[in-house]
Amino acid sequence: MAGSDTAAEVHFDSPGPGTWELDPVHFPRPVTRYWTEIHPEAAGRGTREFAQYYGMLFGGLEMAYVNGFCYHTLAPVAEEEIPQRFQRAEEVFQGKLWREQLREWDDVCKPSSIATHRDIQAIDPDALSDQALVDYLIRCRDHHAAMLTQHMRFTAAAMLPTGDFLAHVGAWTGLSPAELLGLMRGAASVSAGGSDELERLITTIAQDSSARELLNSEDDPAQVLAALRALGGDAGSAVSGYLDLIGYRPLDGFDISEPSALELPDVLIRAIRVAVNGRDLGTSETEDRIADVRNQVPEQHRSEFDELLGEARLTYRLRDERGVYSDIWASGLMRRAVLSAGRRLESRGAVHAAAHLIDAGFEEMRSLLLGSGGPSADELEARLEYRETHRAKDAPAVIGEPAAPPPDPSGLPPAVARLMIATGIAMGSVFGSSEQQHEADLLRGLAASRGLYEGPARRVSGPSEFHRIVQGDVLVTEATTEAFNILLPLLGAIVTDNGGLLSHSAIVAREYGIPGVVGTRDATERIADGMRVRVDGDAGEVSVLA
Amino acid sequence: MKEVVPLAKASDTAIFGSKAVGLGDAARKGLSVPPGVALSGSIVEAVASGEEDAIERVVESVRPLPAPLAVRSSAVDEDGAEASFAGQHLTLLNVPSVAEVSSAVRDIWWSANSDSAITYRQRVGLFTRPSVGVVVQTLLDSDVAGVMFTLNPMNGADECMIEASWGLGEAVVAGLVIPDHYRIDRSGQVLERTPGLKKRAVRPLATGDTVEEEVPPDLVEQLCLDDDQLAELHRLALRCEEVYGPARDIEWAFAGGSLYLLQCRAVTRVGN
Amino acid sequence: MAGAPVEALQRVPLFAELDRHEVEQIARLFKERRFAKGETVVREGSGGAAFFLIDSGEATVSVGAAPRTTLGPGDYFGEIALIDEGTRSATITAVSELACYGLTLWDFRPLVEENGAIGWKLLQSMVKKLREAEQGHRPAAST
Repeated sequence: MAGSDTAAEVHFDSPGPGTWELDPVHFPRPVTRYWTEIHPEAAGRGTREFAQYYGMLFGGLEMAYVNGFCYHTLAPVAEEEIPQRFQRAEEVFQGKLWREQLREWDDVCKPSSIATHRDIQAIDPDALSDQALVDYLIRCRDHHAAMLTQHMRFTAAAMLPTGDFLAHVGAWTGLSPAELLGLMRGAASVSAGGSDELERLITTIAQDSSARELLNSEDDPAQVLAALRALGGDAGSAVSGYLDLIGYRPLDGFDISEPSALELPDVLIRAIRVAVNGRDLGTSETEDRIADVRNQVPEQHRSEFDELLGEARLTYRLRDERGVYSDIWASGLMRRAVLSAGRRLESRGAVHAAAHLIDAGFEEMRSLLLGSGGPSADELEARLEYRETHRAKDAPAVIGEPAAPPPDPSGLPPAVARLMIATGIAMGSVFGSSEQQHEADLLRGLAASRGLYEGPARRVSGPSEFHRIVQGDVLVTEATTEAFNILLPLLGAIVTDNGGLLSHSAIVAREYGIPGVVGTRDATERIADGMRVRVDGDAGEVSVLA
Repeated sequence: MKEVVPLAKASDTAIFGSKAVGLGDAARKGLSVPPGVALSGSIVEAVASGEEDAIERVVESVRPLPAPLAVRSSAVDEDGAEASFAGQHLTLLNVPSVAEVSSAVRDIWWSANSDSAITYRQRVGLFTRPSVGVVVQTLLDSDVAGVMFTLNPMNGADECMIEASWGLGEAVVAGLVIPDHYRIDRSGQVLERTPGLKKRAVRPLATGDTVEEEVPPDLVEQLCLDDDQLAELHRLALRCEEVYGPARDIEWAFAGGSLYLLQCRAVTRVGN
Repeated sequence: MAGAPVEALQRVPLFAELDRHEVEQIARLFKERRFAKGETVVREGSGGAAFFLIDSGEATVSVGAAPRTTLGPGDYFGEIALIDEGTRSATITAVSELACYGLTLWDFRPLVEENGAIGWKLLQSMVKKLREAEQGHRPAAST
């Protein structure tokens, strides 16, 4: 289609046949060129693997990037494979095939991935020659791609039992997925940032008063981290262990453009403080909720409820683990290597700033390092500017053929139908409905307190509901009063319907240093309890993720 | 000492609590505060215990104050203790009878001695018996009220930031509405006037309660402060800074055409 | 008139070993407290700091989300909090306008510390309670 391409006008051409849906949930901003080079193939392969493993009625989830935004389509499965798929689908629930994958993850994939990450992390890119750095970049990239495939491969194991649980229990009780997902709480310590290393960090710091003092001091966060690391004894080594685990993990997102934990020391210190100082009322509260929902299930289905819940909670941690221990870590390592290359290119005048190299494609990075060509410094800077000034909410929700209604599962054999329904619900709770995606899921208000935080929303209207808040929740309420102050050590962020920059909620959010967005008008109507939200206190925006 | 004094005589925070003394300071410096009295921690305890002469004295001292009356706590300890009161207790009285006054004061005593208040104190290492003062003050039926900071709390800029809404200032403090937002520079020039969404207003009732009312549609997005009022607020800001120092967090109200100071504290934190 | 009714207090096991005069001393320390219908009086899991005796009205006792029993005039709860400030073991909610007499540990403790006799008798009641609890856990005798 012909048309003039002015700076303001960008065309969205369909990447191929079928219906392509935007994913603003995982990619709210345009991605780097490097990411568009490796993600589609690597991730697509992983989805094809899980579709086959579980006998699903699609070929895979294909990804494509249009103007830096992520679109996906459901690729069809070849006709001749269908009988095989039907057969396999029968085995899925009978044999609880996800348990095999969970075992494979725990026994093989996760430890081996961690070992590889640590090997790569042990090398200091700054100490390498240009050619050795190129080889190192290749190694990081290949590892990143392999990890992306691994991430997608375990997607079904992570989501299927949950989707199955939501499908059945939703039908029995009429409760929404968002409400039912609340019953997963405590099943996934990784989602809440937990790990053995974090546990050790919490215990050793609690017992070491000089460590506690350092942690709570008002000094420069980067220096506090360095000082904590340098402490003798258990606390110091626990801090190092924890920082080695998460230091090169992007705090938010997946692309190499996202800063890693060590690059944001004040956020990191705050998170550690919350973990060390906070209290968690989690478990018994969840048990009560489970009992409450169970009572709403008709009696003849209750033992099935127990079984479904058990499988869902068993695999729930895979949702985040498959990312955190696979590509998220690998992405941080790739970023580190690219920044190292960027620094030397900056000193040679090939780029205006080390971080601009992030916007080069892989071959371009190689050419620039070896001095054999590549994009200009201005070009790279322009790409960065593009990424920072564009948002997925401005991109069309659908490209290509219009979205067809989901196929009717009632004509399928029962096991296959069950599988497709469970998958549909699981994917729906992740992606949401794309047409209403942007507007339905993005709220704007006043940027009352800076910072970015992602976590489960908790709708609390007053002191009688305070006991529902647990560590890391995002408070969503009409307005706050001093009564809410006691919740502050537990909260990750505050979102209110009403209030200005001088209202109580704004003031306490700033005092506590947690992100706050006030005056959204209708957050309490649009955010359901338990939904995962991202609060951006700098932009004054709240995104509903699931 | 079991005392009840006019606000202008409250000067010892250990006896009357910080709210009372803050208001007392303002009154002594000639800033307009609504009329009121301060009760010492000891007389609050005596009233809560049911001592008849203590109750009589309190009722006598509040009778002359114009109704309705707001009865509030005035914490004697560090402001941390204020935070521990699960809900700043406010009772409104229209006719200060013996029963109503003793009940209101007793409720405040209990809020300082509640499960959460006491365990909070233990946790933060305050191993002394809680003591709480009380302020009884006329609740003005304000037309427009809100909050003013004498610096910009987001970036520390040297300007006044004002948030205002119709009716009692609670609508702004408690964030019940999206208030009008104004900024004035040090010389008095108005830098910003952004109307909010002021759908509700809190007003005192004759029965001695407050009620949330719907604001008429044409007023919801109409600016509630004109330039004359902004100029008065600016003068109040300068005066408060003279008296107390820079970086003030001020609660104010316009009632019957006059500007009143309701509370003046230090801004606790700027930016993040 | 200040203070709680002495007869009602005499029925509280913790005060079972005290004589009337001693109970009067404690009764004087109580203060009236009212709760509106539906208000939470104490919350399970929160730190406890006061003991309550009901004068009029009704309250439900719940553990977890499950209601266990109802309390009415003359009933009392929370006496252990006077001594150990531990966490409340149940949630108590007023189901009608509830008028109570309350005694905080801050008012109770000085009296006990100054009055050794009262302290001794409290110890006796506690020990009695301990023995009863122990016997409850032993397997039933075969005879």
